[in-house]
Amino acid sequence: MRSAVGLMLSHGSNVESVMSRPDYEQNALHHSCLLVLLRGVGPSRARVLQRAFEKVRRVNQIKVTDSSGHQRTIWVRFIHDHPVEHNDWGDFQTHRRLLGLITIGKFETQTELNELCRQHESLKVRYGSTLYEFRAIFFGPEEKEGEEEGHRLQDDYTTPSNFKSQAFFYREHDPCSDLDGRISDFVQALFWVLESRRLERSREKADKVQLLLAPFEKRDFVGLDMESRNNRKRCVGRVMKNLADLSLQAGLVEDALTLYHNANETLRSVGDSLWVGGTEEGLCAASSVLLYPQMREIETLHRNASLQEAGTSSPLRNTPEKWRASDATKKINPPDMNDVRLTSTSSSCSSVSSLVTNTTNSSNSGTPTTNSSSSSTSTISAPAALHATRNGELPLNILKPEEITNFYRKAIINYSKYRHAATIETEAALKASRICIEQNRPLDVAVFLQNILYINLSMSEPERVKRFEVITDLYQQIGYQRKAAFFQRLAALKHVQQGSQAPDWNQSYRLMLGSFSGYLLSLDPLEVLENSSGWPALQIDLVQSLISAARRLGHSALATRHMTFLLQTQWNNMSTTEQSEMAVQLQNLSAQCEGSPVPLVLENGTVIPPANLTDLPYCMDLNVKDLAAHLRPQRIKVAKADSGPFLFTPIHFNSMDRRDKKKDKNKIAFLWVQNDLSEVCVRLRNPLPFELTITDMRLLTNGVVFESIPQTIVLQPHVPTYVSLHGTPIETGQLDLQGFSTHTLGVKSNCRLKHMRGRNFPPNYLIEVIPALPRIGVKTSLPQTATFSNLNSSDIVVTSASLTLYNGESSSCTITITNESSTLPLEYLEININSNVEQDVQKKIFSFDNEALQAKLPVPPQASIDFVLHIYAEADFVCPVTGPSASLHSSCPAGDYGPASSSLTHYSTMSASGHASLPSRVGSPQHRSHRQDPQNSSFRSTISGAQHSLAHLSLQPSGGGAAGAGGPSSLGSQYSQHIEAQVRLKYSGGEGLTGGYCRQCAVSVNLELMPSVQVTGWDVLPAEVASQFYLVLDISNLTAQEMSLNYTDNKNILIEAKESCRVPIPVDRCSLEQVCAARAQEAAENLERELCFRTQLLSFNDALSKLCSTHIAERVKISWLLTGTDIEGIACLRGIVLAQSMVDLTTVSPLQWDITFRETPVQPHSEMMCTVGQCALLSIQLTNKSLQPLKNLVLSIKFYQDYLNGMENYNLETRVAISGPNRIVIPILEREEHMQHTCSVIFFTPGRFKASIECSTKPQTQLGATTNQIGQLETFSASYDEQQAHVWKFIPPIEVTVVEQ
Amino acid sequence: MAFCIAVIGKDNAPLYLATSDMEQELQLQYHVHAALDVVEEKCLLGKGAPESKELYLGLLYSTENHKIYGFVTNSRVKFIVVIDSTNVALRENEVRAIFRNLQVLYTDAVCNPFYIPGESLTSKKFDRSVQKLMNGNA
Repeated sequence: MRSAVGLMLSHGSNVESVMSRPDYEQNALHHSCLLVLLRGVGPSRARVLQRAFEKVRRVNQIKVTDSSGHQRTIWVRFIHDHPVEHNDWGDFQTHRRLLGLITIGKFETQTELNELCRQHESLKVRYGSTLYEFRAIFFGPEEKEGEEEGHRLQDDYTTPSNFKSQAFFYREHDPCSDLDGRISDFVQALFWVLESRRLERSREKADKVQLLLAPFEKRDFVGLDMESRNNRKRCVGRVMKNLADLSLQAGLVEDALTLYHNANETLRSVGDSLWVGGTEEGLCAASSVLLYPQMREIETLHRNASLQEAGTSSPLRNTPEKWRASDATKKINPPDMNDVRLTSTSSSCSSVSSLVTNTTNSSNSGTPTTNSSSSSTSTISAPAALHATRNGELPLNILKPEEITNFYRKAIINYSKYRHAATIETEAALKASRICIEQNRPLDVAVFLQNILYINLSMSEPERVKRFEVITDLYQQIGYQRKAAFFQRLAALKHVQQGSQAPDWNQSYRLMLGSFSGYLLSLDPLEVLENSSGWPALQIDLVQSLISAARRLGHSALATRHMTFLLQTQWNNMSTTEQSEMAVQLQNLSAQCEGSPVPLVLENGTVIPPANLTDLPYCMDLNVKDLAAHLRPQRIKVAKADSGPFLFTPIHFNSMDRRDKKKDKNKIAFLWVQNDLSEVCVRLRNPLPFELTITDMRLLTNGVVFESIPQTIVLQPHVPTYVSLHGTPIETGQLDLQGFSTHTLGVKSNCRLKHMRGRNFPPNYLIEVIPALPRIGVKTSLPQTATFSNLNSSDIVVTSASLTLYNGESSSCTITITNESSTLPLEYLEININSNVEQDVQKKIFSFDNEALQAKLPVPPQASIDFVLHIYAEADFVCPVTGPSASLHSSCPAGDYGPASSSLTHYSTMSASGHASLPSRVGSPQHRSHRQDPQNSSFRSTISGAQHSLAHLSLQPSGGGAAGAGGPSSLGSQYSQHIEAQVRLKYSGGEGLTGGYCRQCAVSVNLELMPSVQVTGWDVLPAEVASQFYLVLDISNLTAQEMSLNYTDNKNILIEAKESCRVPIPVDRCSLEQVCAARAQEAAENLERELCFRTQLLSFNDALSKLCSTHIAERVKISWLLTGTDIEGIACLRGIVLAQSMVDLTTVSPLQWDITFRETPVQPHSEMMCTVGQCALLSIQLTNKSLQPLKNLVLSIKFYQDYLNGMENYNLETRVAISGPNRIVIPILEREEHMQHTCSVIFFTPGRFKASIECSTKPQTQLGATTNQIGQLETFSASYDEQQAHVWKFIPPIEVTVVEQ
Repeated sequence: MAFCIAVIGKDNAPLYLATSDMEQELQLQYHVHAALDVVEEKCLLGKGAPESKELYLGLLYSTENHKIYGFVTNSRVKFIVVIDSTNVALRENEVRAIFRNLQVLYTDAVCNPFYIPGESLTSKKFDRSVQKLMNGNA
């Protein structure tokens, strides 16, 4: 539609500015208004008179009853400013003519009043050519005191004589109640003048009419033949058009329509384009008046709003989308009028048709004009019949809504042919777009608006800007945000264009800010990041322009803010060089005004929300650190939730708990303590290529009061750096950690976790802060260790102590606890010891007096207490004996010892078969031979002599390893042992204790246990009395010093370093009662096992041997002293393992021997005398003293000769003879039953003889199983006893000295 | 031949933009951006009858120097071509041809399995072809 003609015609215009200033606010409906200049005059006119202005403006419409009795609605348009030259266009479009003048002024004095009058008069003169009526409204000073009521203002002040206008005087605070009426009167006056003009015009004779001219046309018609037919028609057409304008203004819309149609016809026929355009526009205006009366309301609203200076637009206009959808803008589609029109065209405006002398067929234009040629009157008048259209019925020749657009187009094309009509064209385009907005046809709006730009209108720069702003506004109304933004930005740039004399940065800034929304930018960086849409390149450019505008404005805070905004929102859309450039720029800007995270409020009320550089530096991760392990709070007692009888249950009794847990995903699992320095570790990266200094970096928290310690860091480019931020919670409760604040590049930023994108941070961290707890310092009296503990939770260790002890030695360590807190007492202290040895061993090693310690509590602040930790170097002094190799050790050295056992060595060495030495020693003598003795003895000597001491020293490690019994928990005594222990102190006090919290720290104790003595072998030998036995021990001194060993009450022995020696220790036998008790217990245990688990049953012997072992351990204590030092200790024999035969010796025999020889009871160590050949009677009585019957006993009597050199001769067939069996089988010996055996002995040769009398049982498993089938239960108790082979001897052996007769 | 060719995504974010004159790139971007309102409006109008939908949107608007044409694919990706308005020789059919070629190029580019829909087009091949198209020897 944009015609090239217009472009060409309008080129090179330099003519006198015809109508330089388009009235951008005009809309189609203003064609029907009376133009009134409403002007404030005088010096102080602004606010005070606002009310008066409003009051006047409100009277924008009156109803007048005309001479023929019809009511007409007259509209007034009040304007504030009106260029005089616009009046010149009054012939072309009458609504451009200023008809009325109202001035409002305020005066205090007569001089001021005179001045007001003068100004009024000068305005009158200025617009005098067109003015119909004028009024002046004067506000005078308040009524003075003492003046009588009703004193009129105009009595005091008089208008100058040359002042001819009608004036209204009011007091300053007068409600002006009669002003409305007066203005109505004024408008009415205007109307009547207008109406008279209209009638005058309508009565003009068609052949006498003057040619009406647009201002620039004046020269064009000079010298033309005005009487030509064409020109006549032109004159008539123009007059008709003028009349139509007047009719429209006078409220006769229907008349106007008809006249416009006719004029259009007429003028088109003569090709008067400009005026054709005028009629077309007039048609549109008239139609709009009828179709869109609501536009006036919007207008009114708009104007009122603009007066109040606030919103500048109606509520609907702010929300274009809503507006577009609202009912007000539904296309008004009246019922198809074409049909109606066809039937009734003749009735319309027939009177005018006479003027259309050369009626061209109007059907081609498609407009509903009349084509009747009959004329009845010669005047240019509209028929009164048209007034019949009433009550919403629209006149038939009205333009249809969609036609309006077309007519506007045509009008604009017509206008465009005249470069001097550019203003008219611009206004028409604006009016057209406003109508299209009303019709909800945004595309047409866009076309019209776009067209405005082509109109080459020589105008000043401010006007151009104004034009852009108006276009912006209209685009905004149709929701074309981008277009609006485009023009808004253009307007902003125009304001500060190069070469502009007075660049208005303020306006520029305002407009640029306004265009943000079109580029999908928001003032809030968060929102921008959230949406992350729009055109980055444009956004960056816009913000940069905004920054420079702000800088030019001298508002450096704003510039800094926008620069921060730019960096924050467009970081990802910038190249690295841009990023660093911007960062440097920001630094420069912020040097003038530091940025801080507070909203800035502009003069117009716009709030610029804070912009934070959350990603500069880029936070890679953030870790909330627990307190140091030894300061970490713990629950003193874990209050167990009642969760039913099950350890684990899937049923949650309190489902609320669970939900809470889920909700608090960001809840930190550990606790912080009030008044304790806490730490958060942040990993930062500097994305800029230069060093970034961050000052005043601290934690951002909510909730409880938190004192954050600021930190200054310098980040190298691109290197991730760990930064620890510290702070102290001052209160207890929940701390909400939200992020951190930085001060970098001169900008303070609050970097909240929830605003950091793409890193999966929770929005915040919730940390529980518990009440303050005391802190303690711990010292020990022992030197510290250099090594670290390997134990669990070694992190709580605060100090350490080391100690070296010989096995069996005792020592102590004083631990001092100081309460380091300044206010809190230490009220609770609990000490545990934890070590890498078994609990029972540990208890033996460490001990302290807890009660004494508890008595010292509480410890006031800064005070200290101490306690003693006793340490005993507990060790296994008996070397572990398992398997065959062990039996070698235990039995081998026994051969060395004493005359009584001198013969046993070779047996045990030869048959190291798991049987201990004693049975072999008493084994059947027939296997022994004298011939073997030399070999044996030599063999023995090699072992027992040279190798002896080496044997256990060198063999032990491999033996222990081979046996696999030497686990870490059993302490061997032959090597130095390392024991690591932690003395754990749980302590609390103050409010923290009330809250149930404590802290735990630990002292690490490193204990080195050096070997001292070791029992490398042992044996049990019968003692001289039956109630005792000898425990024979091989004891090695493993230290490097000479050792004095005290093994019985008064016996001492010195052992050289690394030497060993053998000591006999008399020990009381284990009483029968104990044995019985052990047996009974074991029987019960076995029974239980049998019933419950069917696992392997304990052998009875284990119990008995254990009993014996503890029996020995209890009674035998070997104390040692390293000579020359004061190092002493006690070795204990715990863990000694006894073979079956040893057990028999250790316990009191169940058999009681009563032996008489030659009628004399045998006493221990008593000498029996006998003569050769004499028959001596040996009587043996056995009594079962045990609780059970003894079965399958074999009593045997053997005589032998002891050569006292380790050799015993059992082959005495030639020397002694026994009458009667020397081997008696006793099937059963009931409890307390006696058994008597008597035999006679005859010695054939003199000498010393010994008699070994012993009673042995044999294992009887099979028998036991068969015989005891009746009572299964008894089987166990009985059979275990019987399964073992026992040998009970009468000791000491009887010695008989046989003498010659 | 063409000043600028732009591919704009469904959400009106630019996917690709090529200009023959780098100096004017920003200015052209502003123009292309402002054209989107009209594109949207036209898309809105064509919504009713999808089968008869015309992908070619025609002249969106023109300025002293530029004529801006629009095209929308079925997946609501918009193509905008800015043409020198003084070039009277260029007919609308040729503009249509440019759009057709552009659509083929675009389809090829997004067929790349490594291309994530909605991301900006960085394919060098696409860029080369579009540059060629812009210079009128496609």
